[in-house]
Amino acid sequence: MKKRIALALAVVLLVASMFAFAGCGKKPAANSDIEYVKEKGTLVVGITDFAPMDYQDKDGNWIGFDADMAAAFASSLGVEVQFTEIDWDNKVLELNNKSIDCVWNGMTLTDEVTAAMDCSKAYCRNAQSVVVNAKVADKYTTEEACKELNFAVEKGSAGKEQAEASGFKFTEVDTQAKALLEVKSGNCDAAIIDKLMAGAMIGEGTDYADLVTTVDLNAEEYGVGFRKGSDLAKEINTFFDSVKTTGVDVEIATTYGVQAALIK
Amino acid sequence: MSQFVEQLPVVLSALNEGFVQTLKLFIVTLLGALPLGLIISFGSMSKFKPLSSFVKTFVWIVRGSPLMIQLLIIFYMPGIVFHNPVFGGGEEGRFAAACVAFVINYSCYFSEIFRGGIKSIPYGQQEAGEVLGLTKSQIFFRIKLLQVIKHVVPPMSNEIITLVKDTSLARIIAMQEIIWAGEAFLKGSHGIAGQVWPLFFTAVYYLAFNGILTIAFGKLEKKLNYYRG
Repeated sequence: MKKRIALALAVVLLVASMFAFAGCGKKPAANSDIEYVKEKGTLVVGITDFAPMDYQDKDGNWIGFDADMAAAFASSLGVEVQFTEIDWDNKVLELNNKSIDCVWNGMTLTDEVTAAMDCSKAYCRNAQSVVVNAKVADKYTTEEACKELNFAVEKGSAGKEQAEASGFKFTEVDTQAKALLEVKSGNCDAAIIDKLMAGAMIGEGTDYADLVTTVDLNAEEYGVGFRKGSDLAKEINTFFDSVKTTGVDVEIATTYGVQAALIK
Repeated sequence: MSQFVEQLPVVLSALNEGFVQTLKLFIVTLLGALPLGLIISFGSMSKFKPLSSFVKTFVWIVRGSPLMIQLLIIFYMPGIVFHNPVFGGGEEGRFAAACVAFVINYSCYFSEIFRGGIKSIPYGQQEAGEVLGLTKSQIFFRIKLLQVIKHVVPPMSNEIITLVKDTSLARIIAMQEIIWAGEAFLKGSHGIAGQVWPLFFTAVYYLAFNGILTIAFGKLEKKLNYYRG
């Protein structure tokens, strides 16, 4: 009995390991990412739930400025668009793993981002803003005054880079949402988050009604990220130029109230 | 307050959706890991040295490294190392990868519980069976197995309750289970942004489900307590 099971187990393990190594011999299908995407017929866009760039309507469809633009880009390539939610920390892993084809989610073009991905040119403006409790907001209207605060910032984010550049004392947390939770709970005095995002996340009608933005610490720009060496990064710039001439970008931006931030 | 009443159905339906994913992962893991765990326990008890030491090493690696790392390896390795993203990027792929990782991980834990259960049967029963002319498989299935099941229920229920909560680790590869769904409202989801309570509320689901499991295991234990009548 045991011997037969032992034998069966040995066979299963052998087959499993052969299956695992079978992948080794496979070369990437095509050198051109455009060809690769066209061949499989879908452009997989890695996103997070991030109004007003990518978020779901009541029926669960992905909408937003980035989502609509991504759909337009996919149809310009003649492929279907597919949105998939990712863990933001793992975006480069996801790209290299080919589980997504691009990151299109209000991504700030930092040095770290452009080093790890091939990015489009900037299409939208943003800023990193200081968020504090409304009660003390009057005291912290300059960058200098904010130096005495304890900050919470998202790990690996543009906000964290800004905190370092401004010489703030800070703690790193999971997400920008958690950074707000730190301020709300009083564990930290202030957070640094994207200005476009802050508009939707704090103030009237949220659990963060008592939080406000005070200082804009910088000016920064959003871009779309692709795998290193991907020819889609060039293709998207052509796409951006073409929508500028037709005015489609302004039209979509107006729908989601971000037209002021759009780079003409 | 009126805002809360308005949000409640939206939040609950999102959390329910997430909890269905949690439950699916839980059920698939149980169905896969229970039989696989039994097979692995036979492997580690095998008299064929190379097999038993191979299985023991495997169990050591799986039990000795974090499940979170195993999830990352199983989902990201195929694409990055072998240029063959077998799971794809969609929700189904992430769920499949999570299932593979959980089944492997939990079958190793289960295998040790089974091994303990099988070892606890006195060797005299084996000898008695042989004297009566029963084959090895008859001895295992007719004499030992039921006693093994009785012995493994308490440690197994402990491990299974841990499994319910461990499913939340699957969010590291963006499988959208209930904690992911609850956390989404912090940032904004389904038109509701900046809400903290849905994240904490997910604990109610785990508590309720584990309550049901605890009662069910208690009943099962009572039923198996046949020696005391």
